[in-house]
Amino acid sequence: MSDIEPTADTEVHHHAQTEGPGYATPQAAIEESDPERLAYVMGLYVGTDVDAPDFLSVVDVDPESETYTEVIDRVEMPNRGDELHHFGWNACSSSCHIDELERRHLIIPGQRSSRIHVVDTKNRRDPQIETVIEPEELFEYDLSAPHTVHCIPDGEILISMLGDANGELPGGFLELNDDFEIEGRWDPPGEIEMNYDFWYQPRHNVMVSSEWAAPTTYYPGFDLEDVENGMYGQRLHVWDWAEGNVEQTIDLGEDGLIPLEVRFLHSPEATHGYVGAALSSNIFHFFEADGEWHAENVIDVESREHEDWEMDVPGLVTDLLISMDDRYLFFGNWLHGDVRMYDISDPANPRLADRIWAGGYFGDSHPTGADDREVVGGPQMLQLSLDGERLYWTTSLFSSWDNQFYPKEAEKGSVMLKADVNPRNGTMELDEDFLVDFGDSPHGPARAHEIRWPDGDCTSDVWQ
Amino acid sequence: MTTHDIVLEWQDGQTEHISVDEDETVLEATRANDLGLPFGCLTGACATCAGRLTVGDLTHQRPPRALKDYQQQQGYALLCIAEPRSDCHIEVGARIQAEMIVTPWK
Ligand code: FES
Repeated sequence: MSDIEPTADTEVHHHAQTEGPGYATPQAAIEESDPERLAYVMGLYVGTDVDAPDFLSVVDVDPESETYTEVIDRVEMPNRGDELHHFGWNACSSSCHIDELERRHLIIPGQRSSRIHVVDTKNRRDPQIETVIEPEELFEYDLSAPHTVHCIPDGEILISMLGDANGELPGGFLELNDDFEIEGRWDPPGEIEMNYDFWYQPRHNVMVSSEWAAPTTYYPGFDLEDVENGMYGQRLHVWDWAEGNVEQTIDLGEDGLIPLEVRFLHSPEATHGYVGAALSSNIFHFFEADGEWHAENVIDVESREHEDWEMDVPGLVTDLLISMDDRYLFFGNWLHGDVRMYDISDPANPRLADRIWAGGYFGDSHPTGADDREVVGGPQMLQLSLDGERLYWTTSLFSSWDNQFYPKEAEKGSVMLKADVNPRNGTMELDEDFLVDFGDSPHGPARAHEIRWPDGDCTSDVWQ
Repeated sequence: MTTHDIVLEWQDGQTEHISVDEDETVLEATRANDLGLPFGCLTGACATCAGRLTVGDLTHQRPPRALKDYQQQQGYALLCIAEPRSDCHIEVGARIQAEMIVTPWK
């Protein structure tokens, strides 16, 4: 049982057979969770002329509420310039056996600033900043550009770091203790050059990490010359989870340029996962067979002609996620403008089930109604309800890359959209009544990035 | 301490004059003057703070890792690590960073 005090503003769950945070199994998460009522969403001003810090927004996603689809609270960061990007919980279902732990603190890194914020969500509707780790403290470990946050089963927190103190390679991993102090480096320096996302499967003693590029390469924007010069990643690293070293590196080749989000199936027994290669617009299935890990390209998104473009437009697969029951894979084509849903009952042979068009270069720019505000940008960070029936997404990728591909997003801000999913039939339908407009933010139009649920979600919970 | 007059020019026509010491970065001086210029890493790695020097002389106090040589030749500078060595005119604002890199494929 969680030890968050039950108040009217606190969402508490009582979980059979667990003492700590989260749920005993993915199936328990589906069965025991209530529908999400609040979403935490990253809001950004970095890189614009708006003179205000980035913020954590609390979005009301309870259709019964009077403030449905509104941002009901904003926690401003203490500094400007962070580029809040990905974030995570101090504890997830991987710690559900540890009774003194609670899923209560959000660890919110600044991608550009290298500053790490810890936010206390004891009051779910009114979170407060608890502590801040300043960039200089990270630089002391020769690390910068914090990205993915995963809690690890003993209450500690692991963060992928994309650069060294100069924003160059190699990156690595930083470990925080349960008092949110830097414990040190998790990996022996130099195991990898590039870093990005990672996911671990403790029962199999394995972690898989992916590669973006050096911060000095991707921070300023996307330059094709850097691709030609081999400055972007195309490899996966398979780690010995207990030892913290790389056991195997898989080169994805030309079809695997810029492998970003890594998702294992949720079942702790599974030795299957997926990674999206953003630039080559492919999805790779990775799996263990005969004591080795393999990766196969299982989905190709074809580039499309566009009258305003000299070259065909790639889909640019950015975020992907897997439903809690391990049945469906969802991903967004940020440039094309479609969100796709694949049946992965046979993990090696995903089958396209459905897709929705909203924004992007080929989607409807007014998908929720002709009088509604224009959607600038394409489907980007995704989050799915634990029961698999509601899919949400935002439209911003990274401030400097947004400015190149969707310059109007700086003036209009992002939106958060939603589709109703029918898992039985394998279909999705855009919810035309749901649009959260980050263009209306008090200091000016803001970008919106990753989404998390207070009570666990499909892109962070891991089971032991 | 030698101080220089710096003219900041925004794309919308706004201009501001500030004095910047030789051992102070242009960004530090703008922050002290409450002029909200964009920034990110503050170490010369991200180019969020890019400005374009049209008149004068700036020096980077550490290598400007986020700039390519050709961008430096075009006058781009990273204001978080740039100190003045003469009076300067600098184009500023978020658009400068966006201008610095060509959008591919289009
Ligand atoms: S703020 Fe990052 S280079 Fe100046």
